[in-house]
Order: sequence, then C-alpha cells, then structure tokens
Amino acid sequence: MSAWRRRRRQSKGIEKENDKNKDESIESLFQQLNASNDFTHFTFQYEKCSLVIGYYSTLIDSEILHRDVFPFLKDLDVISSLPTLLPIEEVILTSDTSVIKNNLLKGYILLFDVNNMDQVGLVKSDVDRTRQVSLPEVEFSVVGPKESFVESLDTNINLVRKRLPIPEFVIKELTVGRLSKTRISVLYIEGIANKENVNTVIQRLSNLDFDQITDSSIITQLIQDNQNSPFPQLIDTERPDRIASAVGEGKVAILVDGAPHGLIGPTTIFEFFSAFEDYYLNWVVASFFRLVRFFAVLFSILATPIYVAVLTYHFELIPKDMVATLVTSRSAIPLPPILEAFVLELAIELLREAGARLPTKVGQTIGIVGGIVIGTASVEAGLTSNVLLIIVALAALASFTTPVYQMGNTIRLIRFPFLLMAHYMGFLGVAISFCYLLIHLLKLTSLGRPFLEPFYPPRVQDFKDSLVRLPFSLQSKRPIQEQTQDTMRFKAGKAKKNDDPKRS
Amino acid sequence: MEEKQKQISPFLVFFLVHAVQMGVGVLGFQRTIMKSAGNDAWMAVIAAGILINVIIMVMYLLLNKQQKDLIDIHKDLFGKWIGGFFSLIWIIYWLMIGLVVLRSYIEIVQVWVFPLINIIMFSIIILILVYSTVTGGFRIVTGISFLGVVIPFYIFLTFFFPIEYANFRNLLPIWNHSVQELSVATKDMMLGYLGFSTLLMYYPYIKNPKKSQKWAHLGNVLTLGIYLFILIITIAFFSEKQVGKQIWATLSMWKIVELPFIERIEYIGITSWILIILPNICLAVWAGSKGIQKIFNLNHKKVILFILIILLCSTAVIQGREDIEKINQYISLLGLVLVFIYIPLLTILAFLITKIRKGKASNG
Repeated sequence: MSAWRRRRRQSKGIEKENDKNKDESIESLFQQLNASNDFTHFTFQYEKCSLVIGYYSTLIDSEILHRDVFPFLKDLDVISSLPTLLPIEEVILTSDTSVIKNNLLKGYILLFDVNNMDQVGLVKSDVDRTRQVSLPEVEFSVVGPKESFVESLDTNINLVRKRLPIPEFVIKELTVGRLSKTRISVLYIEGIANKENVNTVIQRLSNLDFDQITDSSIITQLIQDNQNSPFPQLIDTERPDRIASAVGEGKVAILVDGAPHGLIGPTTIFEFFSAFEDYYLNWVVASFFRLVRFFAVLFSILATPIYVAVLTYHFELIPKDMVATLVTSRSAIPLPPILEAFVLELAIELLREAGARLPTKVGQTIGIVGGIVIGTASVEAGLTSNVLLIIVALAALASFTTPVYQMGNTIRLIRFPFLLMAHYMGFLGVAISFCYLLIHLLKLTSLGRPFLEPFYPPRVQDFKDSLVRLPFSLQSKRPIQEQTQDTMRFKAGKAKKNDDPKRS
Repeated sequence: MEEKQKQISPFLVFFLVHAVQMGVGVLGFQRTIMKSAGNDAWMAVIAAGILINVIIMVMYLLLNKQQKDLIDIHKDLFGKWIGGFFSLIWIIYWLMIGLVVLRSYIEIVQVWVFPLINIIMFSIIILILVYSTVTGGFRIVTGISFLGVVIPFYIFLTFFFPIEYANFRNLLPIWNHSVQELSVATKDMMLGYLGFSTLLMYYPYIKNPKKSQKWAHLGNVLTLGIYLFILIITIAFFSEKQVGKQIWATLSMWKIVELPFIERIEYIGITSWILIILPNICLAVWAGSKGIQKIFNLNHKKVILFILIILLCSTAVIQGREDIEKINQYISLLGLVLVFIYIPLLTILAFLITKIRKGKASNG
C-alpha cells in the first residue's frame, strides 16, 4: 500500500515538473522571439478569457489578421474551438514548443489563453510576397507556352500539376538546410519513374548537410555524381512544360523553394543541347536546328585551337589559295598565334562578363562598343589578325547557342585547355585534349546512368530524340536511359491511324 | 562472372575485337606482305583473317566450357605456381602489344609530324590518357574502344581519293605466287590481327557471353575488310617496287589527297589515329593489369600505375627503326606460338582434365 502511494506521489511530481517545463519553455520561447523587433505580441481581455496574440509582423498578412481573425475572437471561450470559429482552414492546436516555433516562422499567428496554457492555437495567415508568373527569359521560345517558374514552390508545383492532372503524379517534400530550412520537392510519376532513380534523389537530398540552400543550382552542385566535373549533370530549366514532359518521360524533377529553376535527372549530354522549342517545331526543322547546335558546339571548342595549331606547326596544311589571305592578315602581327588567340578570347570573355554584371541597357551598349571598337581597333593596331577575329567571334556566338546556360559556360571554359595543348603539340594536342574530353564524358554519370547515352552505351532506340528529333509517331517508347517501369508512352499504331473520311 | 553492373552488352565485343586489332599496322603492313606475295598479297590477308576466325572459335569453345578468364583457367588446370607462370607469359605478351603500338605511333609522329618531339613527354601524356581510361574500369575501356572505332571512321573515306589514280590491272595476273610464298605472307600478316586474345581476359565481363561469339567473328571480319580495302587500293595505286620502298604505304597514299580547304590530309590522319591506338593500348594495359592483380592480389590502381611506368621506361629505351622491327618480330613470333599452338593445346587439355576430374568424381 505504502509503495503504491509513493509511486503515485512520484508520478505526480513528474507531472508537475512537466507542467513547469512547458510554462518555462513558452516563456523562454517568448523571450527568444522578443529578441527580434519584428515579433509582435499583445494581450486582449475578453469576457471569458484573456488572449495573447503573437506573430512576426513581417511574415503575416495583416489583412487576414484584421478581416478573418480579430472579429471572431470575442466569441471565443476555449482555444480548442478555434478551428470551428475562424473562417480559416489551417488552424493547428498544439502544445509542442518546437511546432510553435517552426510555424511562427512560417507566417502563423500564435493564440493562447493566459489562464489555460495547455493548448495553443496557430492560425495560418502567411503572405507570399513573390512576383507573378512571367515570360521565360533564359529559355524563351517563340512557339509554345510562355510561363516560367517563380520563386514560390507552391506556385511552381501548381504550374506543373496543372499539366499532369493524374493522381500518379507524386510530390515528396523534404526540408534541407540548417539555417535556411528550404523546402525541396521531388516530383515523379508513380508507375513510370524508375524507383531506383527516385530513391537515389531522395537519399542524396536527405543526406545533405548544408546550412543555406538559396537556389536549385546549389542542389545541383551538391548532389550531382561528379562534383569536380565542369559539366552539369542535372538539367536546369525554368519551363514548367519541360519539367512536366520530363516527368512524363520517367525522369525525376526537383523543385526548390525560392528558386525559379527546377532540376531534371537523369539526363544525357545531348539533352543539354536540345531546346524545348524543338518539340513544338516540325521534326525536320527541329532536327536541323539540333544538328546546327551540335555543330556549333564542336566549332566553338575546336575552331580557335585548330587555328593556333595550324599557324604554329602545320602551315603545310593550308591550301595554296588560302595562303595569301592568311599571310596578309598575319604578316604585320608581332605576337605568336597563341598569344593572339588568348588576347582575343579573353577580350570576348571580358565583354561577356561585363555584359552579365551590368544592367541590361548599359550591358547592350557595352557589348556593341566593346565588340566593334575593341575588335576593329585591335586589328588595325596590328595586334590580331582579322581572320582570327572572325573565328573567335563566331566561336563565341556558337557557344551561346547552347540552350542550357550552365552548359554554355562549360563549353566556353573547356576551350582554354584545348588552346594550350594546341600551342604545345599542334593537332596532336587538340586530338589528345579531345580524347581526354571523351574519356571524361564516358566516365560521367547522371544519377548513376551513363551521361553519353545513346552514343555510349549505344542504344539505337534512344537516338530518336538526341542528336535529331524524329517525328512523334516514332517516339512511342520512353528512353531506355531512364529504365522506366512503364516503357510505352502511347500506342504507335493508334497515333498513326487516320480516321478521316475519304474524299473523292 | 562479374557483377551485372560492370558487364557489357554482347554486341560490344564487335568493337572490342576490332579496336584491339586495328593499330599502327594498318598504316604500313603492305610492304611486309607484298615482299613475299606481291600482287597476290590480298589472298594472304583473307587467309590470315579466316585462320584468326578459327582461333576465335576455339577460344569460345574453351571459354564457354570454363566460364572464367584465362588466369582462373590456368590456376584451375595447372595450380597456383605453374598456372601463374603461364599467365605471366600472356600478360607480358599483352603488355608488349600495348608497348609496340605506342612506340610505333610515336615513331610515326616523329617521322611525319614532329621530328624533334620529346618522346618521354609525349608518352607521358598518352599514358595519362590510358591511366584515366583504365582506372575507370572495363566499361570505360569498352566505351573508348567503341568511340575509337566509330569516330575515326571518316578517315577511311579519304582512301577513295587515291582510286582516281589507281590502276586495278596491277592485281593481275592472279595466283602468280606459290603457296609457300603466300603462306609466308600469311604468317607476316598475322601481326596485324593480334591482340584479339584479350578476349580471354574480358570474357567474364560480357552479358550472355555465348551470344557474343558472332560479334567477335564479325569484328574480325571488319578488320579483314579494312585491311583488304586498303591493300587492294595500295596494289592498284603503287607498283610493286614502289611499295618496297614505303615503310608506311598508307600514309604515302594520303599525300595525294587534296581538298579545297585542306592539304596534306596525312596530318589529319595521323592525328585522328590517336583515337584508334588509344583503345588498343588501353585494352592491352587493362588485360595485363587485371591479370597481375588477380595473380598477386594487389590494388588495381597501383598495378596500372606500375605497368604504365614500365611502359614509359620501355618507350624511352627503344631507339629507332631497327629496335621496333625487332620487337615486332618477337611479338609476332610469340603471338603465333601463343595463339596457334598454345590456345588449341590448352583447349584440348582443359577438355581432357575436366573429363578426367568428372570421371573421378563420379567414381569416388
């Protein structure tokens, strides 16, 4: 008997202590919150209770507070009746301080009765201060939808979900970042996307330990397979239609709160050279554009190095008729070809960098002034030959045709090792650099899938949408690259069938 | 059998077999075989190709039965020590193939492009490429073999230019050489086909290896086709005496190619050839390093590094045409013995021993 009493007393003591803890923690929470000047709290005396209201004035919409919360509070008798009283669906009743803290920081209003602290109410009244959905700027297309992502995750998901109104389209949300607590969503279609890919993405994201995630490009850098490679291994896009179609293809997409760009994986290198507009154009035209772009990339990487190699070592290669042109343009130039090329290449890079840092209007002016004035002046001053000027300008232009911005940067960067090797060993140097590039690309993977596919491993079926884009009637199968669960996109026969009435 | 992730599709064996056969030999095989067989040398090319196909068949007989690579077969049949010794001979043979390809390529570069090239520096740069490929694993080696066949294929288009000046009557009269002369030429031609025996090492890395046999044969046939194509053009383009003076007849043929935007196509050819020899060296080094790693149980990366340093030193030691010719002779001799005598013997022996063991097992 006595033992039972003792135990009971002990348990009561613990309960009391618990209560005390809770009080203290709400008090200490208030103390912590009060340290910030934008935290507002005040007490209201009503007939039945005295309410404390607290919120971050910068996070909430005061209109909601005045219109949907205050007028209803005078009828309140206990906190637990809050959800039925207010015309707002998202009301949380809790006593857990960590929940309180997190939700206050998300834009909730805290409400509690001073006399009854067991339960506190949290009312959602956050304000989303982001811009409106606007035109895509980086991946603009003449044909096709003109919506682009904004900085709000919910808006972005809405843009994608509108295009995929099926319950199989699933979104898994995670929170990453010790300081930023960024919401990250993984989007895929159940039954199409390969489970392994989805798990890889979720596992890599949940393993991340980083303080601030301010943009999706940080996520790319943190979770891609080879972080030391200059090549991005996840496509970055601002077009919701691109994300929707990629998800439909069996890929996995990642959207980050606060980032106007989504990520797609697994990808291949050829996808970086396909603009989404290709799907809106006739397949012949689209294939032609893709080939042009691919040729542009090769030209952009190889043109200047070949010029340097030929003029440094292999002048025998120049045909008779072309000798005169080259000799007259180079005869007065005191610099060796490599320096000549470096000066011009660096000038172009400077122009690009200056243009990127300056406001748009000034940037354009700088581009014109720099391009024309510096170019002509350096030729007239005899520092560079005009043949090289043409080559370098064309190469720079060619590098801008890459539809994905990140890849364009890479293309411009890898030209420089080629240049150096061309100077050191001529054509052999260029060939060696090219081999090294190939080996590097062979080794790269995107979420564990080969990056150079369908070229290697050779998969004839996937060529239909890589270097060229064949007609949709041939695209009935999803790419092998994604190893999808459901491999058929649609029935090939049905798409071709034509029920038009016959005209005589 | 290896893990599934490391394995390759069976049809890639086509490229592996072809890539390792195509080496520097294509650039100058004509002189050696036309010395004895003259305008009938094309028969020697076909004969050699067919013989190689027979050997590939024998190799598949052995491998399909055993389902493991050469090192394990040796260990199984002869025990750790003697088996290891035999394996070492093969490894040395493969590494020598890699060495001779690298050194001959450097020689061509030296003669045709950069007379004053720093041999050591150049080999270091190429060996760095080899290192980064081989450490990537067998899939990467296969990848570079595939690309090394597909990308430089445009080169063979340039061989249509000499046809303009070719005189195909040079091929006549057919069969004006004795069988003996032809067999000597066939023996000399074998060097151009060697290297395919690396199949003995990468067999466990093939998915459904039995299906890969036809691809191996086809790869060999492609090599045969290319040799034949080039040889017939050479016979038609040069007279027999001219060929005798050309160490690299293929390269000499390129000299007459003239395009509106470029002259001296042989520079492009030699440069692109780097992508053809790279898989060759990579596969040889891979087979050698994998063998050493398996015999001595060492770290693969360290073995590769060790092998590459040895290759580097050897390229520096070999000086001039005579040394290269000598090594070529040794290799073709060693290759002939290993491929035409050792492999059939091993196959028979393996059959007998497994039969005896089975008999013992069922008796006891």
